[in-house]
Amino acid sequence: MFDQLRAFHRPSSVAAALRLFASERRAGGRGRFVAGGTDLVVQGDRSLRFLVDLTRLPLRYVKKRGRGWAIGATSTLSDLEHAPALAGLAGGILAEAAGTAGSRQIRTMGTAGGNLANASPASDLAPPLLVLDARLVLAGRGGRRTVPLERFFRGVNRTVLDGGLLVEIVIPPPPAPRGGRGGAAWSFQKLGRLASDIAVVNAAAGVAVDAGGRCTWARIALGAVAPTPMRARRAEAALVGKPFTRAAADAAAAQAAGETRPVTDVRGTAAYRREMSRVLVARALGECLEQLGRPW
Amino acid sequence: MSDLVIHLRVNGEPRRWTVAPGDLLLDVLRREGYWGVKRGCETGECGACAVLLDGEPVNSCLMFAAQAEGRGLTTIEGIAERDRLDPIQEAFLEHGGVQCGYCTPAMVLCAKALLERSAHPTEAEVREALGGVFCRCTGYKKPVEAVLAAASTGRGGRAPVRAAAARPSRAAARARKEAGR
Repeated sequence: MFDQLRAFHRPSSVAAALRLFASERRAGGRGRFVAGGTDLVVQGDRSLRFLVDLTRLPLRYVKKRGRGWAIGATSTLSDLEHAPALAGLAGGILAEAAGTAGSRQIRTMGTAGGNLANASPASDLAPPLLVLDARLVLAGRGGRRTVPLERFFRGVNRTVLDGGLLVEIVIPPPPAPRGGRGGAAWSFQKLGRLASDIAVVNAAAGVAVDAGGRCTWARIALGAVAPTPMRARRAEAALVGKPFTRAAADAAAAQAAGETRPVTDVRGTAAYRREMSRVLVARALGECLEQLGRPW
Repeated sequence: MSDLVIHLRVNGEPRRWTVAPGDLLLDVLRREGYWGVKRGCETGECGACAVLLDGEPVNSCLMFAAQAEGRGLTTIEGIAERDRLDPIQEAFLEHGGVQCGYCTPAMVLCAKALLERSAHPTEAEVREALGGVFCRCTGYKKPVEAVLAAASTGRGGRAPVRAAAARPSRAAARARKEAGR
């Protein structure tokens, strides 16, 4: 399928990978970085002339860093699923999302960086990472910069990377219960024909409340319902400052569904996706209510 | 086009292959005579081409051969010891886990990876481990029974590569969550 490829580079450092990519591009060829290959091979782009393999770079790690977390871009989905460092992060929603991304074989191969850099609207890691205010470290010929995940996506299969490389996902410390009496709760939801399918809709939510049950912070993110993974900012804003109740959750879910811009494709119609957005956000916020466990 | 020379181990044996930049692992394995690796959908969905890469299952149709440099592969040809089948293979025979046989090598390998990691998996974990291999003959009941039987007789795996306790089961948690809906 890839007979037209004339070079497969296997660098062992980020600098070498960037250098190889730049010099191949100057020579006029079209190429890609490749790690797990689970998206790239399936896309079967016959115009590719070179590949730069990332699996030898020292970017396979999942660890605590200070009060936050750092995930190397070539960590596999399976690494995230099983990483002890992620079990305690946000109720484990990131590990849970990684565990739903394809079959066991796909998760052994596919990487965290690839799941984002491929910029599929249905990325399973994107909603939990948006909820966690994740930032991405990008390396280019000019050096490194950090961008919020939300600003990384430009459209379907389009990112701000331009011959640059996603090297690390940084997760800041999520909101902690204040004064010991409030709480924070999290949920990841996915709708597919089977758990391991590409999502028809996926969603994640995070809510923090004070001791009186008033919402102090909220994040709601959705996938597969817009050209890029998205946050439902108006729904988030509707929750903050008010008592976090079932009624408030249902209203926010309806609001979030209104913020989506879904398309009709083989996995579902736009109308179905919009309605399922409401259902998944309601479930996600419902799980948060349950975890907080107090009738206000 | 510049061919690459790669060194790897297949079923414990050192191999030196010359591959083209665009060669996929599936094509090279079959070219080299590992016909137990089956060509199915070639889009990573059916799992018939699964092999173990350093003990973990991958779909060889999605991996570039050049990425196998320095790694260890296990195919179905490598899991019997001379004339003695692997206990998982025995269990597939005993429990009627084989019909046309096309998906069987991948199922056995995925089961093997599971049992090496977790000697006594739950049924949900077995189903999750086999979930990336499609059977189009009849289904999964007998393969699942076979894997559970191999596990219950303690014949499934060798020494676990990693302590089971270090890998909390997401599959089981997900199964509980699905059941609760």
